Amino acid sequence: MTILTIALKSLRGRLLASTLTAVSVALGVGLVIASVLMAQGIREAFIASATDYNLVVGAKGSPAQLVLGVVFRIDVATPNVRYTIYEALRDDPRVEVAVPVMVGDAYLGFRYVATNGTYFAALPWRRKSFSLAVGRFFRDDPLGSPQFEALLGSEAAARTGLRVGDRFYEGEEMADYPFTVIGILKQTRSADDRAIFMSLASFWEMNEVARGLAVKPLTAVLVRPKRMSDLPGLHREYNVAEETQAVLPSGVLLTIVNMMAVAQEALTMILATVGAIVLLYVFVAMYSATLERRREIATMRALGARRTTVLGIVLVESCTLVTLGGVGGILVGHVAAFVAAAMLATRSGLVTQPFMFDAVQPAILAVVILLGTLAGLLPAVLAYRMEVAENLAPLS
Amino acid sequence: MTAVSARSAVDLCDLKKSFPVADGGNLDVLDVEHLTLSAATCTVLRGRSGSGKTTLLNLIAGVALPSAGVIRVNDTDVAALSEARRDRFRARHVGYVFQSFNLLSAFSAIENVMLAMTFADVVPKRLQRQRAAELLDRLGLGARLAHKPQHLSRGEQQRVAIARAMANNPSIILADEPCASLDARTAGTVLNAFLAACRQDGRTLLLVSHDEAVLSDADQILDISEFNRAEAGKAAS
Repeated sequence: MTILTIALKSLRGRLLASTLTAVSVALGVGLVIASVLMAQGIREAFIASATDYNLVVGAKGSPAQLVLGVVFRIDVATPNVRYTIYEALRDDPRVEVAVPVMVGDAYLGFRYVATNGTYFAALPWRRKSFSLAVGRFFRDDPLGSPQFEALLGSEAAARTGLRVGDRFYEGEEMADYPFTVIGILKQTRSADDRAIFMSLASFWEMNEVARGLAVKPLTAVLVRPKRMSDLPGLHREYNVAEETQAVLPSGVLLTIVNMMAVAQEALTMILATVGAIVLLYVFVAMYSATLERRREIATMRALGARRTTVLGIVLVESCTLVTLGGVGGILVGHVAAFVAAAMLATRSGLVTQPFMFDAVQPAILAVVILLGTLAGLLPAVLAYRMEVAENLAPLS
Repeated sequence: MTAVSARSAVDLCDLKKSFPVADGGNLDVLDVEHLTLSAATCTVLRGRSGSGKTTLLNLIAGVALPSAGVIRVNDTDVAALSEARRDRFRARHVGYVFQSFNLLSAFSAIENVMLAMTFADVVPKRLQRQRAAELLDRLGLGARLAHKPQHLSRGEQQRVAIARAMANNPSIILADEPCASLDARTAGTVLNAFLAACRQDGRTLLLVSHDEAVLSDADQILDISEFNRAEAGKAAS
């Protein structure tokens, strides 16, 4: 037998207490890991969705609302602008790409997003790419002859159960305008996974208000200038205009990240408190176990175990407990992050990546093992200093 | 009684042990001018409760240090050794059977025996399990190797404790009330195991016991009041 096997058998000998200690460590570590994963995931989800376009042009109002409503579909959409704004931007020589976006109602909670084929185009500067899991993209049907074709994001398809060829509509008043599913996108890990895409013509025809308007409405126009030097000019021009505001998504993103940083500071303090409680629990558990095992430790010493040997056994025990708890905590954290990511996606449309392994997690594990082992140091010293003869007799 | 061999296994000289008490003074528990245990003999130590028998065993085993005097075990001054060397010496030369067995509940019978070998590091690791199994088998516990102490009878526990004490082939075995709380049949089995260790293997036995069966088989019977001056002093006062 070795110190490790002796320590493991001692832990097994008090299985319930050992399990509870390891579980408490796992829960504490899991909470930290889940929080880190979710914070990272939310930040990356924001960045991944927001950085393809340099400018979002929409109606006057809150810049954050415009970006959150159009790009992330979290907030309520801003009022509409006229389609002519899009045409002006499309034809502007300074603009490389302009994409019209109309955010509308929803089917079973999945937002209608009307746009044109450019939205899905593979462009060299795009971080996000769209590809079909099945079917095809919808056609940019001309105004007046809508085809009512719908392209579903991956999650929208999975959750609604719609398949290619299915027809659907939301509410009896829309029964005259059923959409036909013509394709389903592969997962993009963005708000687009939860969207139901359609052509602008189809949307306008379905929408009672838009149907009657001579100049059709849009929620916003996503803009990519040819040269970055043109961005300030475009930004200023569309902000000065009476009808529109132009928002730099990166600026809004920075605001969101800064807000998250404040929340994360508070969260860090809470997590640090949780960590301290868990370490205290490990300490109390190991200290109690050492006190309860005074006779066993004295017996080992009487059998010839050196002081350093019993010190090592207790340290290996606490190290083993926190290692098991720490590894379990990483698994618990990922499961919790997975559940939280699903809930976040359902409630806010923000799609995060719950399974990420990076340097932070081994670092957290290493810190937990180090601190947990240190928490076992005092009980180990207690075992080290224990007088043999005094503790050989039964405790009673 | 059988003849006592000449070579001494344990020599105590001017041995004193006292413990601090609440009023700031010291309580003298042991005061032994001289005591010798010859090698390969079975000595029974008896005396009233609290007379210092267990303390004497602890001192010989080196788990406690004397307040004064010399303890020679196999010609080694145990108290003069550093703590680490004393631990090693005890592991290799002294087998100790505690009154309440002190088996470790998390370990099976065979693992309890192997523990002693692990700490002593005398028996090669690859042979430890085999030797532990052989020792337990000799004591009639061949079918109980994997049983935890709490699943063994008191007699079986006692035999595991004896096997553990003999694991490192020590020259001296100390046993504190080995037959207390055992029924007559089990006590007989245990005693036979001890006597076999002495008669067949040539080990020196020091047993604390008041059991008549043990007394009748001993080479030497010592009453602690006869050589412990601290005990005599207490009786006089």
